[in-house]
Amino acid sequence: MRYLDKSIEELHELLKSKTIKPIDLVEEAFARIEENKDLNAYITLNKEEALKQAKELEDKEVDNVLFGIPIAVKDNIITKGLRTTCASHMLDNFTPIYDATIVEKLKEKNMIIIGKTNMDEFAMGSSSRTSYFGAPKNPWNNEKISGGSSGGSATTIASRDVPLALGSDTGGSIRQPASYCGIVGMKPTYGRISRYGLVAFASSLDQIGPMTRNVYENALLLNAIVGKDEKDLTSANKPVEDFTRLIGQDIKGMKIAVPNYFMSDIVEDNIRIQIEETIKMLKDKGAVVDYVDVKYLENAVTLYQIIAMGEASSNLARFDGIRYGHSKENPENIEDLYYGTRQEGFGNEVKRRIMVGSYLLSGENAKTYYNKALSIRDDMKKEFTKVFENYDLIIGPTTTTTAYNLTDSMDDPRKTFMDDVLVIPVNMAGLPGLNVPVGFDKEHMPIGLHIIGNSFEEAKIYQLANFIEKELNLNLEVRGENND
Amino acid sequence: MEEKLTREEVLHVAELARIKITEEEIERYQVQLKQLLNDVEKINDVKGYDDEILIASWYAPTTLREDTSKEMLNPKEVVENAPRHSGNYIEVPVVISEEA
Repeated sequence: MRYLDKSIEELHELLKSKTIKPIDLVEEAFARIEENKDLNAYITLNKEEALKQAKELEDKEVDNVLFGIPIAVKDNIITKGLRTTCASHMLDNFTPIYDATIVEKLKEKNMIIIGKTNMDEFAMGSSSRTSYFGAPKNPWNNEKISGGSSGGSATTIASRDVPLALGSDTGGSIRQPASYCGIVGMKPTYGRISRYGLVAFASSLDQIGPMTRNVYENALLLNAIVGKDEKDLTSANKPVEDFTRLIGQDIKGMKIAVPNYFMSDIVEDNIRIQIEETIKMLKDKGAVVDYVDVKYLENAVTLYQIIAMGEASSNLARFDGIRYGHSKENPENIEDLYYGTRQEGFGNEVKRRIMVGSYLLSGENAKTYYNKALSIRDDMKKEFTKVFENYDLIIGPTTTTTAYNLTDSMDDPRKTFMDDVLVIPVNMAGLPGLNVPVGFDKEHMPIGLHIIGNSFEEAKIYQLANFIEKELNLNLEVRGENND
Repeated sequence: MEEKLTREEVLHVAELARIKITEEEIERYQVQLKQLLNDVEKINDVKGYDDEILIASWYAPTTLREDTSKEMLNPKEVVENAPRHSGNYIEVPVVISEEA
């Protein structure tokens, strides 16, 4: 019997009744990771510490539903005493001396961190192939990408090594790999979760979020990680709420908008057809679904390129070879230390983005590009606000294609941005968005639906996502029957 | 013909970014950076928006902390995380030398 195939709630009951111990789950998780090690989902495992923690938990009261549950953490969220690399040579020897606020929260709940997951270098990419440690592989087909940048977290959930994982999403980096790997991934509202200890990529867009096997467990994990943090002034002070509270409620009369752009010819036919089928099902069940025009969606990638690369160039200026991380050996002088450390430490994608970002923010360019992007971004947010005056939620496909081959060319630097064309607008407006699997293509690669809510209305997203999950009742086990 | 930045333009942005680049990289970035810069030029085609800007989508009301001292990071651990350190100091190459 594999305990980790059970739901979190079942595991909780077993732990509470002392039928199983946390160490049973931890040992099973490491055994599964070992079985799946070719998938390259992890950069660093936390084996010794996790086993020790599991033993210590045996004497403690099982006081919450996540107690003793193994979790994987994306390797750009810093963990005290546990190497945190951001999948970069720049940090491949870096051991943090404090925990991210979100990691403190996991520890307060007595969850057990199993390891740090693979990703695109500094979260820059859409296929996790910019990782210094090699790309993770998609569990549904090992020749395909897992997506990115949270590709390792998506992989380890899809292969059922652990039930829960954390990712981060700057321009789709939770939702897009969740779609490619057939799992549930939520980017919460900007401000929901403290970013203290999340290595910054684009500070006005970055947000941490849960990646899980199903919708209910996603909401359970979100419950545990939200909240105001005095160490992150952009974190929101919102009343405590239970994100599972609307799960199970009917969707009759729910008003849903589908932006025409999301169903335009940028999306592959097989995905569009699958989404249309889901829309038909929702209408049959009593939801009102309308196609709407949302201005500026087609400009989102351009805005993202300017804002994300600009902010990245500023944030990554901290890697100077002096305070931590990689440092050039025997530098001739201070300039040589800066230039040489950054030459050796950063990979191609990161260098490209820092260079373009530095240019976009230099002198008068800041006005020509960055400020203009912030203006259009404001109008885009207002467009979304208008839609939410009349609709509960917005839906569309999460991605324009299903997962492509690991060997596909990486020469065109624009491709990685276009992979995220449907998910980027959500980061621009700071809205919550979630991927839920709705089917498979002809090669049996997962197709995902993207559900977008108004700010701080994650609970409503979970309500619809759970309804769809229950109705479709897909077999999302890679090793399940008919999936061989 | 493929559009390219000049060598000088690539070297200029690399300098802005404080990144040393090789000859082979210069050639590659002449093409790739141009592709990205062409992309961002599309912003000039967008019309109809107003002047208001959105820096971050969520503005937390400014809150002030109590001005009290508390334990933060351990200075010894901070210094030891630096690639070169000695005692309580982080070592760096000479910044100002006597020879000018």
